[in-house]
Amino acid sequence: MGLDVEIIFKIAGVGIVVAFLHTILDQVGKKEYAQWVTLFGFIYILFLVASVVDNLFQKIKSVFLFQ
Amino acid sequence: MIKIVGAILIIVATTLVGFEISKRLSERPRQLRQLKSALQSLEAEIMYGHTPLHEASRRLASQLSHPVSLFFADFASRLTETETTVMRAWENSLNHIWKKTALKNSEFEIMKQFGETLGRHDRISQQKQILLTLAHLEREEVDAHEKQAKYERMAKSLGFLSGLLLIILLM
Repeated sequence: MGLDVEIIFKIAGVGIVVAFLHTILDQVGKKEYAQWVTLFGFIYILFLVASVVDNLFQKIKSVFLFQ
Repeated sequence: MIKIVGAILIIVATTLVGFEISKRLSERPRQLRQLKSALQSLEAEIMYGHTPLHEASRRLASQLSHPVSLFFADFASRLTETETTVMRAWENSLNHIWKKTALKNSEFEIMKQFGETLGRHDRISQQKQILLTLAHLEREEVDAHEKQAKYERMAKSLGFLSGLLLIILLM
């Protein structure tokens, strides 16, 4: 449970910071940089989530396939 | 514990970088203004005071404040102490001082071109050259102001936020 809470906080933190970066870069007219930042934040979070889901699948496998 | 210390160090470092960049952005218009007033004083010295160049630049060096005054002091000492032409002394002084200012390459070219005309013509054409250089510097100053208004706050918050992001990624 402890690990799950930590990862949620991490995702929330990345989200907040990336949102701030996006608005600031947008304000000064650097739209393309803003989009890149958002894209990279999104990919990073996607990897985090993928690792969690991978854990879940491994657990399901070990429960139902008796490996 | 050591994690927190590292995090604080990272945030302090990136924030300082951001502030340094924004300081450079706000220094540039100020120094351009100084450079302009220096050229105006030089024009007055040449047109109305008939002052020799090394004396005029020594006076300018005592009138102005830090980075620009260094340039004129250097120029004056080069003119009096070494065997050189005005153009080369001007260029050498520019090269010598440029790293200490927040000015950009375009201003460097403008000043260098002005140095090539300095001391070659009569007073009237010299005044025209000074006015031309002032017009160029005016344009650069407007540009610098625009950039300052646009990017100064961005540099500060970008420094802080990138530090924060780095910490979250490394945690």
